[in-house]
Amino acid sequence: MTLRTSKQVGEWVNRNKKISFTFEGEQFTAFEGDTISSALWAADQKVLGRSFKYHRPRGVLSLANHDVNVLMTDGVDTNIRADVVEVKDGMVLTAVNTTGGVKKDKSSYIDSISPLLPVGFYYKAFHTPRRFFPFWEKVIRNAAGLGIVNFDYPRILKRKQHSHCDVLVIGAGPTGLTAAYEAAQAGLEVTLIDENRQVGGSLTYDRGGEAAATKQLNELLIKVANQSNIKMLTGTYAAGYYPDHLIPVVSEGGINKVRAKTVIVTSGAFEQPPVFRYNDLPGVMLGSAAQRLIYRYGVKPFNNGIVVTANDYGYRVALDLLEAGTKVVAVVDLRKGTNTSGPAITLAKRGIKIYAGYCVYEALAASDKSSVRGAVLCEYDNVANVALTKNKVTLECDGIAMSAGWAPAGALLYQAGTGMQFDNSVQQFVPSRLPDGIFAAGKVNGIFDLEQRLQDGKRAANEALRYLGLEAPQITVARPVGQPTDLSCPSHPYPMVPHEKGKNFVDFDEDIQIKDFVNAAKEGFDNIELMKRFTTVGMGPSQGKHSNMNAIRILARIRDLPVEKIGTTTSRPFFHPTPIGHLGGRGFHAHRLTSLHDWHQANGAVFTDIGAWKRAAYYPANGQTKEQAIQAEAMAVRNAAGIIDGSSFGKIEIHGPDAAEFLERFFTGSYKTQKVGRCRYVMLLDDSGVIADDGIASRLADDLFYLSIGTSNAAAVYREMQRSQQMWQLDIGLVNVTGAFGAINIAGPSARAILSALTELDLSYESFPISSVRESHVAGVEARLIRVAFVSDVGYEMHIPMAHVPHVWNALLEAGKQHGLRPFGSDTQRLLRLEMGHPMPGVDTDGLTNPFEIGADWAIEMSKPYFIGQRSLQILAKRPLRKQLVPFVLAENFKGEMPMDCNLVVDGRAILGRVTSIAYSKFIDRCIGFAYVSPAKTAVGSTFEIRTDSGTLVKATVAATPFIQNQKGA
Amino acid sequence: MQVSNMKTISQTSPVAHAQLKSNAKWALVNGINTAVEFASAEVEQARKKILGVTDVSCLSRYGVKGAQAAKWLADRQVTTPANPNSWGVSDQNTLVLRLGGSEFVLEDQFAGSTCARLASDSTRVPNVYKVPRADASFILSGSEVLNMLSELCSLDLREKSLGAEEVIMTQIAGISAIVLRQDLSGEQVYRIWCDGTYGPYLWDVMVEIAVELGGGAVGLACYQS
Repeated sequence: MTLRTSKQVGEWVNRNKKISFTFEGEQFTAFEGDTISSALWAADQKVLGRSFKYHRPRGVLSLANHDVNVLMTDGVDTNIRADVVEVKDGMVLTAVNTTGGVKKDKSSYIDSISPLLPVGFYYKAFHTPRRFFPFWEKVIRNAAGLGIVNFDYPRILKRKQHSHCDVLVIGAGPTGLTAAYEAAQAGLEVTLIDENRQVGGSLTYDRGGEAAATKQLNELLIKVANQSNIKMLTGTYAAGYYPDHLIPVVSEGGINKVRAKTVIVTSGAFEQPPVFRYNDLPGVMLGSAAQRLIYRYGVKPFNNGIVVTANDYGYRVALDLLEAGTKVVAVVDLRKGTNTSGPAITLAKRGIKIYAGYCVYEALAASDKSSVRGAVLCEYDNVANVALTKNKVTLECDGIAMSAGWAPAGALLYQAGTGMQFDNSVQQFVPSRLPDGIFAAGKVNGIFDLEQRLQDGKRAANEALRYLGLEAPQITVARPVGQPTDLSCPSHPYPMVPHEKGKNFVDFDEDIQIKDFVNAAKEGFDNIELMKRFTTVGMGPSQGKHSNMNAIRILARIRDLPVEKIGTTTSRPFFHPTPIGHLGGRGFHAHRLTSLHDWHQANGAVFTDIGAWKRAAYYPANGQTKEQAIQAEAMAVRNAAGIIDGSSFGKIEIHGPDAAEFLERFFTGSYKTQKVGRCRYVMLLDDSGVIADDGIASRLADDLFYLSIGTSNAAAVYREMQRSQQMWQLDIGLVNVTGAFGAINIAGPSARAILSALTELDLSYESFPISSVRESHVAGVEARLIRVAFVSDVGYEMHIPMAHVPHVWNALLEAGKQHGLRPFGSDTQRLLRLEMGHPMPGVDTDGLTNPFEIGADWAIEMSKPYFIGQRSLQILAKRPLRKQLVPFVLAENFKGEMPMDCNLVVDGRAILGRVTSIAYSKFIDRCIGFAYVSPAKTAVGSTFEIRTDSGTLVKATVAATPFIQNQKGA
Repeated sequence: MQVSNMKTISQTSPVAHAQLKSNAKWALVNGINTAVEFASAEVEQARKKILGVTDVSCLSRYGVKGAQAAKWLADRQVTTPANPNSWGVSDQNTLVLRLGGSEFVLEDQFAGSTCARLASDSTRVPNVYKVPRADASFILSGSEVLNMLSELCSLDLREKSLGAEEVIMTQIAGISAIVLRQDLSGEQVYRIWCDGTYGPYLWDVMVEIAVELGGGAVGLACYQS
């Protein structure tokens, strides 16, 4: 049997192109343009998926991107939303969340034991008794989640782009089209987006049995098409609102971050279902879903249907059903009174029975529970909101269309900070205070009459124009004023029908019934945010688009409060589930290379990421392990000499007469007394006295310091310098030369001899002692030479223009051949500095370490009037230390399990500290390291225990540094 | 002691690492080994029309900042833009970029000598600070250039927003960069400068996108004639 109708004007399917696909192993045909759901529904396939918790059969609900019980997989992708995703030829589809198929889902037994799974079941299961936690964890983990992640999913690039416009209109229904047109008419650059494949919104399906909507849509489309300054994006949703009108809009191709000068939200409203027993059966659907099936896809929702409504919209739905050839058995209206609206009169004239003041007490399921066979009607008490079950009427039907009201699609408005208030007249939350530059119109603004919506679109456009400084007349569009019981009210204040047997679903995503809310409230979860989390209402993939409003109404009823006192839950971006591939985009991983990178690569370096830089970590010879390579490089430095590419160090010049003053304020030490040609240690703290970075300040002139600092924090330090200078306004100039200058460090006993061959500078200890700086030439290249002792007591750091680094590097290697010079990498550098006994910020400190804890008191000049972090240090200095960094050694010839960085220092069950660095030094044949211990354990010779990953306790002894002997005359 | 003549020390474009795999033809330009051809002239012209990415890091540059920098340049016959964050052309078509209020970047054309002339003046003057430049610099051309930039930069770089004489300092593909629009022989191009150590990364990103959009790498030779 097919439910395909005759061709509909404006339908989205191409009947000239047939395609075929399979669903659950069965072959189906479709027209090009069908969604998966519409194609299956046309073929009378009613069970399209299973519900999340009870595995109940489910069919079409909204056909508006919210049918989250109808998620499918094609074997590659999962959780495909069948209600909106276009079916493609050759697709092989199955429903997710079934055990053995959608028709005979073995997990459907859960439905029959649902009384054993009350709301909050899993919270309680985990809580008591605790010994069952692992059991429940296993059970619930197996049940949790939808679909199976495909770890072989192809990497398909989704671009993330930026665009800009004067006006962004979100939602291309009649209101949005009008707003876009009016704004464009004024010459503004307009971007108009809509999540649907085609624009038009309700005009594409809400026709009330007439052709006027189609004509109106065509007129609007022609007007919009003639405006070249309107960019229209379909199949695109606005995913969130971020400050300054930044809206990421998501389409299949990627994310476009739109920065708009002003935003008009015309996102419409979600139709809301009435709540009655078995309102979830396949064949029970929203009225607007029925209309979409008919007019977009040419599919009849059912053959003999009932419309249950609580507003006049249901009457329009009934007329559309008649147009599609459906026999409308009855219109059941929760409201009492004679309806004199046009559609009601037309229906009456066509002989349709109208049950005013009635409700559907329950839908009757067919024997296999997979479709509707009828409905039981009862009179409805609109005050007590209960069914009067004395005189039940049973009608046969194979489908039910539901129209109980609307909830605004206001997520973006909430995220933008809009004040929303509940308007009793329209029974809806509406904007009461809009942020600057944001405007709302149409149904989201509580305006439902079509002509009024068009006016409201124009009003919003005019307000946007005035916001942008243009002239535009003021237009007033008033929401209707009246009582919720008025027949003109678009939403029913409480469309709930209690039933003693339950299964009257409020949230289809999570199978939540009315009684679940009552029970949650009884347990004390009677605040909307708490209730949301306890019942999980609105926490499913549709995020409460069809359940939140009813949940708020139920809670208001339970607590006997007006709806506005209940409020709404927090709306957060993203509005709609967005694939991770979209969020990732191209994946920019900015990185910096030194001018020696190719040399390192050609010489077999293994690279490591330090900050933004790719640094050579070590150079393994053939067959060498990492550890062997590092030890070999370190031995070369200790016995001959080594060179390391230090081009990634941060390098900053501080010029000007106040340069020393600047350093005194910025760092902890003293610099005004520093002589030209000398270097001093610098340590940067943050305001709380925590160590941020360290380095060396070399004084090149009275008014020029050259600062070299760590690789990782260089950019942040420079930014902080700029920020400080903005406040201090000293007479200085800061020049960041990190990228302009490279650096090479030559270290080891032969370093002086090697370097002497390439420079005229007197390198003798007397002329060029440790902690001094000289400007000279190396291999013909202008260089700043700094006498450092970080990795060896004989070491020279050469800072030279980045482009000339390869030249100097090669010259050094050539000159050092006879001395056994070899390159070493940053991993080796870590071992070498450890041998020298130098802690490193970021390695041996963390985000809480202050200078006293690493014994750096010597680097602090507390008598200065001010430096960053000084005030905190003054406070910290009065407190006893809780931990202190100490150098340590393991036992001689230690052969046990080697402790690792971050292993704990323990004393019985007490944690005293942790290891920050540890390594085996071949040069001294000992395992050495740094660790935090309690202050009582810092004396040389004190012992403490380190707990390894396996739990073994390793004894360590506090040692003195440096671990190696200094060379005489270094 | 080994003494080298600075002019004989070989230098390579900071972008070169990313170009080595492309079988480019290399030549010394301003003493810097530079990729001058990536494909036939016909192919490169076609790329240039759609989306060409050219490495012009070899052009000579000079940087200076400080409260007296503008005066210092004026004293040396360099015409500077009057407004902050704008650019202009001085003698020999040297580009003069004013970054903020008191920092300047100069870039010579191929035969220009202004930067060398300024660099030879090593006198230290109060409130004038030399800023060593080691930029990677690019020319982006073609009809799809804004398409590419929309992925790399969050700012509106269209003609209506980025004035002809405006310079902006922004983030391109996550790194700090200087951007301006320039008319080169009647062709509207975008110029980008970034720290040279980021050059290979940015080149890879831009060429990847350019190829996707129908363009690609264009050698410097295209702009040398």
